[in-house]
This record gives sequence, structure tokens and C-alpha cells, in this order.
Amino acid sequence: MKTLSLKNLAKTYFDPYAGSHVNAVHDVSIDVEQGEFVSVVGPSGCGKTTILNMIAGFIPYTGGEILLDGKPVRGPGPERGVVFQSFALFPWKTVLDNVGFGPKMRGVPKAERDRIAREYLALAGLSHAAHRYPNELSGGMQQRVGVVRALANNPDVLLMDEPFASVDAQTRMTLQEELTRIWQERKPTVLFITHDVAEAVFLANRVVVLSKGRVLDQIEIDLPRPRVWDDLVKDDRFKQLSARVLQMVRAA
Amino acid sequence: MNVLLQFWSGYARMTRRWPALAAIVPFIPVVALWSAVAAAGIFPRAFFPGPVDVVNSFFTLIYKGILPDYLGDSLIRLFTGAAVGMALGIPLGVLIGTSRWAHRVCWPILLFFQAIGDIAWLPILLIWFGFGLTTMTFVIVYTVLFPVVLNAVLGVESVPRDLARAARSLGASPARVLWEVTLPGALPNIITGLRNGLGYGWRALIAVEMIVGTSGIGFMMFDARRAGSTVEILLGMIILGLLWYIVDAWILAPLERATGQRWGLVTS
Repeated sequence: MKTLSLKNLAKTYFDPYAGSHVNAVHDVSIDVEQGEFVSVVGPSGCGKTTILNMIAGFIPYTGGEILLDGKPVRGPGPERGVVFQSFALFPWKTVLDNVGFGPKMRGVPKAERDRIAREYLALAGLSHAAHRYPNELSGGMQQRVGVVRALANNPDVLLMDEPFASVDAQTRMTLQEELTRIWQERKPTVLFITHDVAEAVFLANRVVVLSKGRVLDQIEIDLPRPRVWDDLVKDDRFKQLSARVLQMVRAA
Repeated sequence: MNVLLQFWSGYARMTRRWPALAAIVPFIPVVALWSAVAAAGIFPRAFFPGPVDVVNSFFTLIYKGILPDYLGDSLIRLFTGAAVGMALGIPLGVLIGTSRWAHRVCWPILLFFQAIGDIAWLPILLIWFGFGLTTMTFVIVYTVLFPVVLNAVLGVESVPRDLARAARSLGASPARVLWEVTLPGALPNIITGLRNGLGYGWRALIAVEMIVGTSGIGFMMFDARRAGSTVEILLGMIILGLLWYIVDAWILAPLERATGQRWGLVTS
């Protein structure tokens, strides 16, 4: 089992302007089981992006442990795929070469990585865009590429940092529905960071509410799948869960 | 008003079909004014020759073989200097852009030497290397180097941090990040640096040829002054402008646009 565990994770950094140490994250413990979709939600400044950056290995942590499959992680690695709010596609590479980048780094031959990339592009309905460049695509399409680029590398865990925050509201709903569909087909392990309560509840099996660098509560989301917005906006259970999470976030 | 509009739309269509036309047409009034002033005889002919005299001297010098030789010498000097300047400048710029330590150590030194203009080196270079190719090459390399280094640093620093992070979390080693992300990301700026560098280099070369040269366009112009040949001096000036226009507008600018557009940095 590939389980992601955060054990008493902490991050303290020195603020040279304030002249003191700041605790961005204290004592956070979260377990994400294989094939589970966990959303982390909290107000800005609660430390959620810091946590994701530590798991991804972009910044070092100062306390506790991050274990993937029981082994501690240090530094970035291909077993932890990341989807960025800024998309972070390589502008000088075609969509096909962006998606094939991970396999390329593993030394997969060109023909084989093109096959892999095409398979994943088809999954996101992007087959027609294979030979286009990122700046020729809409924001929504760029982030679809961002998601399948991470998936095509077959990571043990997919880390998503507010990936849909910079697309328009309608596109965002479509992307959320597509993500739940892809998740059901492939069952990747996902840790999804967001400040959007409805998004967190819509996507996840479990929502972790974060406040001031601590876990406030964890709520199981027992909504049936497939989930589509047209149904869920009318669903009482969805409204109830969203209201509960929202209350906690606002009180946080 | 209507006639003007029709004329304008005709011109717009013509220049789209033959883009070179857009470069030539603005010079028509300039040359016309020049001919008029020369023809009016305000200044003595030997002092202020007209366009026809300059064109004649162009053909004479081509016929004698002097102009092709000198032009070839100048261009070879420029491109050797530019090649060496890039070979030194791009790696140095990438190093300074990626390493905080290299930045701390090199940046103040770089700014210090940037302030000592190319020509300011000539007195010491003439003592060290004498009147020759070494001195000229040094000045060109020196002139090309700074714009290339400074723009390469800028380019490396302007690559979004998330791109390097994305590459790392897709399994790229730091060396592959340099090759797959940093260099292509910095390329548009590096080409801008090269474009500036060649522009400054071209000017510096002419200046150095005047002082040090035994051949080249700069030498030709300075030699013409000794002979009192205003025609050749003007011819030299026109060649400098024309040649740079061709290199910049037809080679460097399209290259810069092509990378900038592809990279999504230029939206127009």
C-alpha cells in the first residue's frame, strides 16, 4: 500500500524583517490512503500551500516526518506528481511533449512516450491539441494538460495546489467534474489543496480543515459517485456537508 | 481625403506583398532632400557630394576590389568577436543567473568593467598587443560580452520558478532542469542580448578600425579623410547603416520575435 503520512509535520522559518521565528505549520498529522482523494481546505495563510510544497520536496520541513509508503521523503521526486495553480507547462514544448516529459526523464524511448502521452491526452479529451503549444490553449485546456502531464508519469500520489483557482467559474465546474471522472477511472491517490469549500467537498472522500497551521477537523464525504454539479447543487447531503465545512473555515 | 485613404490602403497592400518596400520608402524624402541640398550648390561639391557621386564611388570601389575586401574584413572581425563573446557570455550569464554565490562574486565585478567602455581599453591594449587583430578582437569580444551576460542573467532569473519545480517533480535531475528548462526559458533574452551586443560591437569595431586598422570599413573612412575624399566617407557611413539594417531587421529581429512568440512572451 502506497500511503502518504504526515506525522507531526512542522515548518518554522526565520523572518528577517520581524527578526523572529514564525511557525507556518505546527504539528500537522494527515494520512492519505492509496486511492483516496483528500482535500485540504482553509483560509489563506493557514499553511496549506506550505504543506504541499514540503510534501513535493520544494521546501524543507523543520519538524516531524513525511512518509510515502513508510519511507521518509526529501527533495522533489517523480513519485510525487504536482499540479500547479500557474499550470507550469513548458511553453517551448508542444502539448504532446509536455505530457511526455516525465517518461522522457525516465528514459522512455520517443515512440513509447508519445503513445503514453496520447493515451493520457485522450483521457482528458485533448487528442486534437497534441501538436499545439501551451500559449495557443485556453486556461482550462492548459490545466487539463497540467493534470494529465502529472498523471502520465504514474506517480504514487498526486499533489494539486489550487489547480482550478485561475480559470473562470464555468470552466472550473467542468474541470472538477472531469477530475472526479478521471479519479474514478484511475483511482490515483490525491491530495488537493483549495480555499474553495464547495470544491473541496465536491471532489473528495475526506476534507481536512486547516487553521493557523493546525488540523482543525477531518470530515468524511460520503456522497455517491459519479458526482455532477447539476445534481449536487440540489442535494441536501452536499449542502449540509458544505455548510459544516464552511462554518469551520470561517470560524478558523 | 478620399484620395489619401486610397493611397494609404494601396501602400499598405504593397508593403504586405513586398515587405522590403516598407524599409525603402521612408528614405525617399531623405535622399531627395540630400540631392536638393547638394544640387543647390550651397556647399562646395568636394565638401558636400550628392547621392549620385556616392553611388559612383560605390561602383568604383567595388570595381577596384577595395570595398568587398574591406567589408569582408569588418564582417569577419565582427562575427568572430561575436562568436567568442557568446561562447564566454552565455555560460557566464547562466552561471550567474543560477548560482547565488556566483552572482554575489561576479556581479559587482561585471558592473565595474561594464563602466569601462570598449574604447577606454584601447590605450592599454595598444601597449600590450600593438596595432593589430588581437586588439580589435579584444574590443569586439568585450563589447559583445556584457549585453549577452546581463541579458542571459535576466533570462535565467525570469524563468518562472514553478517550471523548474514541475520538471523536478516529473523526475528531472538538476542538470536536466538546466538543459530542458533554464536554457530554453532564457533563450529569448539571450537573443535580445546578442542583438544588442552585435549592435554595440558593430559600432565599436568601426571606431577601433579607425584607430588600429589597416583594413575594414572604419579604416576606409578614416583613410578617405586623409585623402580628403568626402564621397568615400559618406559611402562608408551609408554602408554601416545599410548593413546593420539588413542584419538586424532581416535576421536578428525575426529570430527574437520567433522565440518570444513561441514562448508566449510576446503577445502581439
